[in-house]
Amino acid sequence: MMEWIPFLLFACVCAALMLGYPVAFTLAGVSLWFAGIGIITGHFDPSQLFYISERLFGVYTKETLIAVPLFVLMGVMLERTKLAEELLDNMAKACGRLPAGLGLSVVVVGALLAASTGIVGATVVTMGLMSLPTMLRRGYCPALATGTICATGTLGQIIPPSIALVLLGDILSNAYQQAQLAQGIFNAAPVSVGDLFMGAVVPGLLLVSLYIVYLLAIGVFKPKLAPKVEDCGKTQGLWLSVLPPVLLIVLVLGSIISGAATPTEAAGVGALAATLLALFKKQLTFAIARDVVRSTTKITCMVFTILLGASIFSLVFIGYGGKEVIESFFAQLPGGAFSAMLIVMLVIFLLGFILDFIEITFVVVPLVGPALLMMGLDPIWLGVMIALNLQTSFLTPPFGFALFYLRGVAPKEVATSAIYRGVVPFIAIQLLVLVLLALKPELVTWLPSLLSHG
Amino acid sequence: MQSLVKLYSATASYAASAHRTLGQSLAWLCALMVLLTAGIVIVRALSGVNSIAAQELVTYFHATLIMLACTYTLTEHGHVRVDIFYRRFSARAKAWVDLAGNLLFLLPLGITICAISWDFVMASWGLKEGSADAGGLAAVYWLKTLLLLNGAMLALYALSDSLQQLATLTPHMAASGEN
Repeated sequence: MMEWIPFLLFACVCAALMLGYPVAFTLAGVSLWFAGIGIITGHFDPSQLFYISERLFGVYTKETLIAVPLFVLMGVMLERTKLAEELLDNMAKACGRLPAGLGLSVVVVGALLAASTGIVGATVVTMGLMSLPTMLRRGYCPALATGTICATGTLGQIIPPSIALVLLGDILSNAYQQAQLAQGIFNAAPVSVGDLFMGAVVPGLLLVSLYIVYLLAIGVFKPKLAPKVEDCGKTQGLWLSVLPPVLLIVLVLGSIISGAATPTEAAGVGALAATLLALFKKQLTFAIARDVVRSTTKITCMVFTILLGASIFSLVFIGYGGKEVIESFFAQLPGGAFSAMLIVMLVIFLLGFILDFIEITFVVVPLVGPALLMMGLDPIWLGVMIALNLQTSFLTPPFGFALFYLRGVAPKEVATSAIYRGVVPFIAIQLLVLVLLALKPELVTWLPSLLSHG
Repeated sequence: MQSLVKLYSATASYAASAHRTLGQSLAWLCALMVLLTAGIVIVRALSGVNSIAAQELVTYFHATLIMLACTYTLTEHGHVRVDIFYRRFSARAKAWVDLAGNLLFLLPLGITICAISWDFVMASWGLKEGSADAGGLAAVYWLKTLLLLNGAMLALYALSDSLQQLATLTPHMAASGEN
């Protein structure tokens, strides 16, 4: 009788979210009402609620999560100081004579800037503002231009170092620990954020290469859609603008892989390096610095407030026995781990239409993660699959986040239907990679295991 | 009626600017966090010295920022909304959503955080709780106290912003009441 209450809670949260009040507070508010009514009617143990303080304080002071403001600051710094713009400009000049050269430079710059804020909106908006007008002026087909920008804008989710993976890594390591404990394994090797970063490298590169192959094919076979740029001018200082972001990524990833620094410390070093770079390029004024720390503060608080809301939601959900219900559902499912994974992926894909990466990571993954991991799935593979799946969801019409954000900054002449048509080939590429990873999990697990044994 | 609307609106904007000023000042903690974290790595690489106090200071800055700048983010509309419908609503409908959300979700949340954190914080004060690590900072009880402030600030913001929403809604009420 009581087992439907967790699902009623979930349904009520989804319905209330549609009203448009901030997600974090809607999550917390609806959950508290459920807890309150449960306490009055004697169905909810009030002592459960007292875990909230300890849980929140634990989350706020957790070392791995301090990487969030540091990575955000690094991304915002790169964005505000126009380093990205200069890079795109130079790349476009260098690639201009190649088939679909301008499109290629957008993909490459997008991939390099994956170390950006990690919030889908920011990357798509930045890339859209920087490159869409140029692409259209150069005679690019609007569908191709917008599709390329949307797809590259979401790359920041999957290419390390990404904030999305930091958060996912933290949640998954908890889930993995729970799953191991439940199976009586007390000394299992933990999953770290660094492992997840390594796991995402090969799939990320694969994705970028396929984007590039697609654009090259368009450039060769349908050059009218993506004309070459003839008057591209000199490419002075190309290496000067490409090198810094590459060095930054190498610096951050390198210090994590070599064990010289934790991901949080690497984020701090990366943020300092981005700041020094901006200073060196004489881009860092007091007004910009003020702007950067304020944006960083707002994004950081937004992330942690959702974590607050999600913590309260999952506490109430579990307090009503939601965890047992999910576990028994998975246990009864025919087809074992495969069908459980398929269902979870579908649910996450659909939730991606209404919720951002952060919300899904905090709300859904802690609930389904332990159950899935107990079925023997690899935690790093699971993390990368979830990240890739969400990235696809953000691209899918009509509700994909990336499309909304690009619509917001695209000129009126670009039809919404053109944006929808433009992303279809990229969605096909995403699905292809998802299937590849499902068939060959080694694509994800190979690099982390190589490094941990080496 | 008009003067009441003005009073509501003025109170709300004073409150919002207080939250904003605090948040904007605290924002500089981000820069300090970057310098400290990078400094820790550099010092360790050069001299092998690892300062637990410095590491904990970063954690303190981080936690302070999250707990005390949360309402600043609210004043700047920085919290994510599912705006599939919301952005198409009229100004009046938006005001109703915000009013209801403030009173039904945010206010109970702020009060709950305060109420349940009280014993948690008092227990910490009783011990004058310090760091679990040797060489750490001895002020965990102060940091935990910020949870109470966090809850109180959220509740106060819910109230003051509700006044703003009421002010948005009132002229229409007055107009329809007179007819």
